Formats: sequence, C-alpha cells, structure tokens
Amino acid sequence: MSARSVKRLNARGLAALFAGPPLLLAVSALYIYSRTYAKSSRLGIEMTPAAFESIIGRALPALAGMCVAAALTAIVSLVFQTVTQSRLLTPSMLGFDSVFVTTQTLLVFLFGSRSEMFANPYLNYLTAAGAMIAVSTLMYGAVLRRGRDNIVFLLMFGLVLSGILRSGSGYIQVIMDAEDFNRVRAATSVTVNNMNTDIILPVLPIMLFISAALLLRHRTYNVMSLGPEQAKSLGVPYEREANVSLLLIAAGMSVATALIGSLTFLGLLSVNAARELLKTHRHLPLFIGSAVIASLLLVSGQGAAELLQGALPVTAIIDLAGCSYMFYLILRENRL
Amino acid sequence: MIEICGLNQSYDRRGGYTLRDINLTIRERAVTALVGANGAGKSTLLGVIANIVRPLSGTVLLDGEDVRRIKASAAAKKLAFLKQTLRLGIRITVEELAEYGRFPHCGGRPRDADMEKIDDALRYMKLSELRGRYLDELSGGQRQRAFIAMILAQDTPYIFLDEPLNNLDIKHSVEMMKIVKRLVAELGKTVVIVLHDVNFAAAYADRVVAMKDGRIMSEGNPEEMITKDVLDRVFDHDFNIAEHGGRRVCLYY
Ligand SMILES: Nc1ncnc2c1ncn2[C@@H]1O[C@H](COP(=O)(O)OP(=O)(O)OP(=O)(O)O)[C@@H](O)[C@H]1O
Ligand SMILES: [Mg+2]
Repeated sequence: MSARSVKRLNARGLAALFAGPPLLLAVSALYIYSRTYAKSSRLGIEMTPAAFESIIGRALPALAGMCVAAALTAIVSLVFQTVTQSRLLTPSMLGFDSVFVTTQTLLVFLFGSRSEMFANPYLNYLTAAGAMIAVSTLMYGAVLRRGRDNIVFLLMFGLVLSGILRSGSGYIQVIMDAEDFNRVRAATSVTVNNMNTDIILPVLPIMLFISAALLLRHRTYNVMSLGPEQAKSLGVPYEREANVSLLLIAAGMSVATALIGSLTFLGLLSVNAARELLKTHRHLPLFIGSAVIASLLLVSGQGAAELLQGALPVTAIIDLAGCSYMFYLILRENRL
Repeated sequence: MIEICGLNQSYDRRGGYTLRDINLTIRERAVTALVGANGAGKSTLLGVIANIVRPLSGTVLLDGEDVRRIKASAAAKKLAFLKQTLRLGIRITVEELAEYGRFPHCGGRPRDADMEKIDDALRYMKLSELRGRYLDELSGGQRQRAFIAMILAQDTPYIFLDEPLNNLDIKHSVEMMKIVKRLVAELGKTVVIVLHDVNFAAAYADRVVAMKDGRIMSEGNPEEMITKDVLDRVFDHDFNIAEHGGRRVCLYY
C-alpha cells in the first residue's frame, strides 16, 4: 500500500491491519494443536515426531485451502454486493451451491463416475464453473440489467433456481446405480470437515488468480459503488465491468464450493463485519479486512470443532450467526 | 464541439418517443439553458449526449467523434454530467466525493495536482469547512453543492448540469449561476444547464433551448426567447412579460 492509502486508513483500519496477522497465526496454531496434541492426548496415544509430521503434512494443505477458500468467498461476496448494489446479498444465496450439486450429478449421470469428465479435477472444475457462469449471466441479464427491484427478484430467482435444480438432481440421483450415487454424494457433500484435499494444490493457482484479478480492480469497484450512472459518467464502462466481475465471481464461487462446500453466510458475515469494523467504503481495506475475518472465522471454528470432536459443527455456527446478522441488517435497512 | 443529428429516443417502443428528431449544435464557451415542462425530455437528451441513455437512432458527435464509440474513460475527461437525482449507495464525505471527480484523470490514485484540483473545487463551492462531513449529515443544498464540486474537480471542457439549482436557496442559486458564468468566462468551459426558472435562464444564459414533448420547440438568444408568444407555447401557460431595468422578466403566477 502506498503512503497515501495508509494515511487514509483510520485508527480502526490501522489497528485491524496490525491485529490481523497475529490473530491468523494464533488461530492456525489452535487448529494445528487441536489436530495433533489435543487429539493424541484425548486418544491416549503418544505424539511421535513421525506421526506429527504426517498429520502436519495433511493439516497444512487443509489450513491453506481453508484460508484461501474463505478469503476468496469474502472477496467474491464483496464484489457481488457492489455489482448488485446491495449489502444483503451474497452469491451463495442465489443457489450457486445447487448448481454445483447439479453439475456433479449430471457429469456422473452422463459420463459415469469413472470418466475423465468427473474424475479429472480440472475438467470437472471447468464444467462446474462454466455452469455457474451461465447461470450468473442468465441471472444478470434477466434481473439486474433490467433495473428491477433487485433484491426481491434476485432472491426469488435464487429460490426458484435452487428448488428446481435440487429436485432435479435428487431425481437423477435416485435412478443412478449405487456406485455412481456414492461418488456423487462424496463429491457434493464436501464440508470443511471432509475437505476435498486432493484438489487443493491444483486449484490453489486458480483461486489466487481470481482473488488477484478482483483485488486489482479495487479502484474501479470504489467508483462502481457510487451507482451505475455515476460510474459511467466517471468513465467506468459499468456493464462490461459488471459482466467481467460476474464471470470472476462465478468462477470463484465454483472453486470455493468444490473445495470446502457451501458456506452460505460466511461471505455475508465477513464482508459486513469488515464494513462495521473499518467504517470505510473503499474496497482495498474491505477486501483485506473481510478476507482476514473470513479466514479467522473458518479456521478458528474448525479448530474449535476438532477440539470438541465435532460436537460443535462450524458450518452450523457460521450459518446461525450469519443468518441472525442478516435478519438484523434487513430490519435495520427497512427502518431507514 | 457537440453536434446532435437526427436523434430519436424511446424508453419503451410501445410508449412512443421521448425524443423526436433532435438537431442541435451546442455553442462553445457559452452557457446554454435547456428549459421545458416536466417530462419534456430534457434529462433524457442530456443522458443521450453523455452516452448514459441509448438512442434509437441519430448521432451525437463530441469533438467530431461519435459518443457511442468513444471509450468511457476518454469521454469522462471531456464531459462531466451532474444528474438530476443525486443518490449514492454508500456513505462518504464531501472530500471523498470530490475526489471521485478526479477518477477519470488519475484512475483512483490522486497525485498532488489532483489534490489541488479537489481543494480548488471545494473552495469554489464554499465547502472547505464541510469537507470532512458525511453527505448524509448535510442539508439538501449543501449536498447539491458537494456534487457540483465533484463535477468541477472532474475539470472537463463540457459540463452538463441537470437542475443544479434544486435545493439551493435564492442566494446560493444566484451564486451558482455566477459560478457557471465564471466557468465560461475564466476557464472557457461549455456549459449546458437545465433550468426551471425562466428568469434565471434569461439572466444568465447565452443561448436558450426550449423543449416540449421530446422536440426542440425553439432556440435562440434570451431576448428572442423571453417573449409571451414563445413561452406560452413551450409551457402551455399564460405568461406576462414585464420590463425591469432594461431587462425582460416574466411573471407566471
Ligand atoms: N428510465 C425511464 N424509463 C422509462 N421512461 C422514462 C425514463 N426516464 C424518463 N422517462 C420518461 O421520458 C419522458 C421524458 O423524461 P425526462 O426525464 O427526460 O424529462 P425532463 O424534461 O427531464 O423532466 P423534468 O423536468 O421533470 O426533469 C417522461 O415522459 C418520462 O416519463
Ligand atoms: Mg429532468
């Protein structure tokens, strides 16, 4: 960050800038501790260096995957809110996760669970991302560009879409044979607990690329947050930028979903927490803040879950907190 | 130079035309006042020229180039447009708003020269003391002036102001019009301004363009335009023209 942009951060921003890295380290330590020593003492096994190494070998990629996926979810959600001009929406509310389930189901149904299309992470990812891109383009063309009453229409669109897709893929899963069914189940019931660790390394560059592409546009997003017409008269080609952003959002959501499953409220919670904390509208601090908050939430939640042997499912907690927060936002916005 | 040829526009093809066969050349380094009743199509015309509203047919040439072909970023260095309704999705300060006016020039990375333009614009609009205030903590007129400061910071040769006197009291309205005159006289800008008060148009504009039902009814110098005949036709209202201090004033109540 340049000197001028540091100067622009308020006291809260600076505090957050310095508090972020140590907090991240602390929750990572908690996560690793709960997967190694806490677990071994609970099970009464001695933690040998060799065992430690082998667990770390699995825990570190999982940690990296969680952090990057959480950060990506937050970044994508913030951009989505800017493009839709709403603080209440995140892409996962529009049924993106059911698009993911449907593509997995269809891939297995059409090509078989042993086919390259399904088993090759890249091919599989490209198909899922392609489908999400198609859906988001449809959504954008049908709802956003017409300048309708965005929020209600988008939520309805998401509701109808995920209803149709869910019952459709449910039906296909019923008529599949047992092996295919199990594979689809394994691919679509990814959660933070059973992350799809095989694909972390292959998709890491994709996630970093998408995050970087969105982060680099932060100045454009600042202008876009003024509204489409203001942005256009300040020289931002709004429609093109919105289309590019939606492509990147769909691509980002599909990787994050493939990796850690759907966390409906993680994006909403972290983006709005960053807004409240940093009290700014500028996207660069908001990107960084919400990415850090999302990683903190996910890693600390997962650490606690491991510590408590899954008595406390992270997704449920994040969704509960996110859901209550959304309620609060709706009530507050309605009063204004 | 802005030249408009054969412009037609319709928001909804079934609903008829909003703009009909508009031909107009906007005079350089002058104040052009656009007048007309509510719904006459004034804002739409400005929107089409600024390439925010899409026309059905016809062309708008900005310095000889079709506005629909100019890159948005290049157009924003030539033409600044103050909209009629000023609403922002976000909460920002007066200074931050003015800073956005520099976006076309600095891409969001203001340098010292940009900061000077921002300071100048705020001073021009007498907002220096309020620069740290959030827009939602201002009165309607102060907010209006903050948006105009953004337009001034954009520092373009062409400036379009859609009803900039909204929310301004009499004193600030007169000051605003004097600022507009100074922009033309001192900085050589070309200003198009939508006004509802015909007397303001008569007193401060070099050209008056009157619109009605999507067409240009008549166009001319204030002396030619401030006549009972023209005004009655444009506004469908019974005007009385009086003389005061050698200037024509219209009474409409
Ligand atoms: N976004 C829109 N969609 C559909 N119709 C519109 C839209 N904006 C304006 N119109 C219609 O186009 C016509 C011209 O509107 P416009 O805003 O250009 O008028 P105006 O001369 O600026 O009026 P005012 O003095 O009230 O600002 C009106 O009949 C209006 O109803
Ligand atoms: Mg208007």
